[in-house]
Amino acid sequence: MPNMNRNYEIGFVINPEATEEDVKKVIDSVVEIIKKANGNIENVDEWGRRRLAYPIKGHNEGIYTFITADMGGAVFFEIERRLKLNEKVMRFIINRLDDKMKKANRLTKKWKRMERLSKRNIEEEAIAVEISDEEKEEDYE
Amino acid sequence: MSNQNSSSGPSGRYQKKFYFSRRKYCIFCKDKIKFIDYKNYKMLENFILETGKILPARVTGTCTLHQKQLTKAIKRARHMAFLKFIEPKRERVT
Repeated sequence: MPNMNRNYEIGFVINPEATEEDVKKVIDSVVEIIKKANGNIENVDEWGRRRLAYPIKGHNEGIYTFITADMGGAVFFEIERRLKLNEKVMRFIINRLDDKMKKANRLTKKWKRMERLSKRNIEEEAIAVEISDEEKEEDYE
Repeated sequence: MSNQNSSSGPSGRYQKKFYFSRRKYCIFCKDKIKFIDYKNYKMLENFILETGKILPARVTGTCTLHQKQLTKAIKRARHMAFLKFIEPKRERVT
């Protein structure tokens, strides 16, 4: 059985009226679900209070937290369900991080092609310059 | 822009000179950025208008691969309230 865990990033915004304990409860609930399903938590990043770009449910502030973890696909839906049911969570987002490797490969390929093209252009220019120099020397003779 | 005005003939040549501008390049390709993160919202603010609209690639000069990532990142940042949604233009009150 291969390891089907994938790298995910979970971010959520909690109501500013919530106390520190409430915030901890939400984080612990997410962490517990992941650990129960043999997931691995890489990082828990607490940004704290910050201003929102637009008011959500009449609040101008929110408490941000981001969690990166390796977990299976089934856990994804469990976390999604939990966060939806929680009234203190105003916004949440879960997205995969490992599919960025595909994009990165495409980009590296593109950059290699660009480098080859630019090198060829420089070489052609250099050849052109050499030819013109030779012609000049011949003229002087 | 240069491709549009590359018609041959004297008139085309003059037009080329008239519309000459510095060539745009992809900022992300220059810095070799492979992945655009939506949490880096201060960088994303450079690619939206004051009204919140996403600038097209032909204005900013970003390549297609990066523009695709950029639009997705901006939309995610909007959902998480890092950036604002598009605001309608205010009508003039006379």
